Amino acid sequence: MHYQHNRTLALFYCQNVPGAGERERIGLEKEYGQCIRFYPIACSGRLEPVHLLSALENFADAAYLITCPEGMCRYFEGNLRAIKRVMRTQDIISGIGLEKERVGIITGSKEGPKTLAELAKEIFDKVLQMEPSPVLGKGERSYDYCATEAH
Amino acid sequence: MPEKYVIHTTTVPNRFRAISKSGIIAWEEGCLRCAICVKERCVYDVYYKRKLDSRQMIDSIDNLCMNCLRCVQGCPKELISKSVNPEFKEMGDDFFTPEIISRLWYQAETGKIPVSGAGYPGPFSGPGFDSMWTDMSEIVRPTRDGIHGREYISTAIDLGKTLGSLKFDQSGGLIGDIPLLVDIPLPILLKVPPFGAISDKTLLGWAMAAKRLGTFLAMKRDEVQKLPDQFRPWLLPVLEADLSDPAAIPRGVRIVEIPWSRKWDKTAKIIKDAFPSLLLCVDVAMMDGMEEKARAVAEAGADIIHLDAGAPDGGKDTKACDARAYDPRRVKDAIRSVHMELVAANIRDGVTLVASGGFAMAEHVAKGMLCGADAVMAEFQLLISLQCRMCRRCTTGLSCPMDIQDASSKWVAGRVVNLFGAWHNQLIEVMGAMGIRDARRLRGEVGRAMFYEDLDKAVFGSLGSAAEGFELE
Repeated sequence: MHYQHNRTLALFYCQNVPGAGERERIGLEKEYGQCIRFYPIACSGRLEPVHLLSALENFADAAYLITCPEGMCRYFEGNLRAIKRVMRTQDIISGIGLEKERVGIITGSKEGPKTLAELAKEIFDKVLQMEPSPVLGKGERSYDYCATEAH
Repeated sequence: MPEKYVIHTTTVPNRFRAISKSGIIAWEEGCLRCAICVKERCVYDVYYKRKLDSRQMIDSIDNLCMNCLRCVQGCPKELISKSVNPEFKEMGDDFFTPEIISRLWYQAETGKIPVSGAGYPGPFSGPGFDSMWTDMSEIVRPTRDGIHGREYISTAIDLGKTLGSLKFDQSGGLIGDIPLLVDIPLPILLKVPPFGAISDKTLLGWAMAAKRLGTFLAMKRDEVQKLPDQFRPWLLPVLEADLSDPAAIPRGVRIVEIPWSRKWDKTAKIIKDAFPSLLLCVDVAMMDGMEEKARAVAEAGADIIHLDAGAPDGGKDTKACDARAYDPRRVKDAIRSVHMELVAANIRDGVTLVASGGFAMAEHVAKGMLCGADAVMAEFQLLISLQCRMCRRCTTGLSCPMDIQDASSKWVAGRVVNLFGAWHNQLIEVMGAMGIRDARRLRGEVGRAMFYEDLDKAVFGSLGSAAEGFELE
């Protein structure tokens, strides 16, 4: 495992992003450990501000979304809608005093498509430049467990 | 008639939200703000009950949605659509498909038989057990009060040798010894899987389940030592092929297994000399030459043959595990082949044949037995019942996304009992529909089954065959 930084990135990505299969994901998980949490989604347009905010609230210093290139969305407008939602989330977090850069969106390129691994590295390098999230404080990063108490 | 065997099940909830097959994509932009939104009319209230699990980032609408598609069809601006969940598609492998895994999860949670409800939409034949149909002629006369009603259908089987005939002396006394038999109420044995985030708590849970089910749990010799002595009668230690010291055999067990090797009979003799009351099981890998090995093992006096389609290295290597010793889709052919070899040698009753690998669903148990197995051994099902996705992260050193190692023994036992409780009910359903009242009679009863290959040959054989891709000019 290469990364031992005290930063956590929640990375949502459209399933159409190149190199987003399960094997590649396992390889990235080995490389980044708990530093990046990967969340494949059927369409980037499915993501709502609550997903990004929930990640920031519970464990992530930053939450990013990778979409397929414009015009390539299986649901026609999913990636376009995702841009608006991410912008709205940026407005929300700046309203509470957080940097807008903690939430972001990367739209894939038709001409020079980058793989999930390349984009993850780019984004995580950016996250490393940020201060730890003041939302999480110094305490242990928690999860909103919905698991039942049956165990 | 012995007491009726019933597996009592009770709901054991998931520890994590199950990964659902489909997800809802509902866009707000362009919403007409109808007086009564289709989301409010959802009969399952999935939008009203909506919650987000921030650890798994799973939206509860995906789990609660019953795929009635009313909202998708009803929204005047067509803002709602359904999609296939990419995480669902990535689960499992060619054999344990995402659909099979999700059905096993359901059975482990509820203990109930999964019902698709809308008819069977898939193809009527496929590879492996899917190319086999069981006789359902008796289904026209179903039991009057359900599978647990007045009619008695026994799923018990015997492990060990049975005598072909009894011989008596002049005074009517029995000549010779009656061989040792162990009967179990379910033709399914359990085996600790070769990989997985398995802790001592998990092992204990599986042992508790084996005891409650009345069957055996196969595990390595050193794992047996980790469990309390009270579970020994339900444990089946797998010993080393070159075992020389019988003192190493755990006390209190009733069956031991050794892997087949060129000197297996020497190890077997050491065991039998020290513990004559132990049943001896020999693990024969499902690969070329298995028929001769199985016959030789039976002729040499082993009580049980374990026909094993598991990974040859114990599954530690992912690639080797993917490429198992025998393709699970061909297990039915392997069982038939070994069974017929033993029948031809006239020693079939002299040995019990237990097959493992390739049994992903309850129907496979009945089909495996029709092909000639006396019982089957479940392995990865034990992990899947604990919400394992067969992602094999544990084999690469990554932590288990389902934290299986942290699950309590009680939860583990409950899940496994539920799964096999549901399988038991399905087995009774299948047997009832076939008109078979005793699982022992299932063995090799191919007259109660139809095979796609045979039918294809019988119906279209005279027409010859065409190469794949052949087109008429």
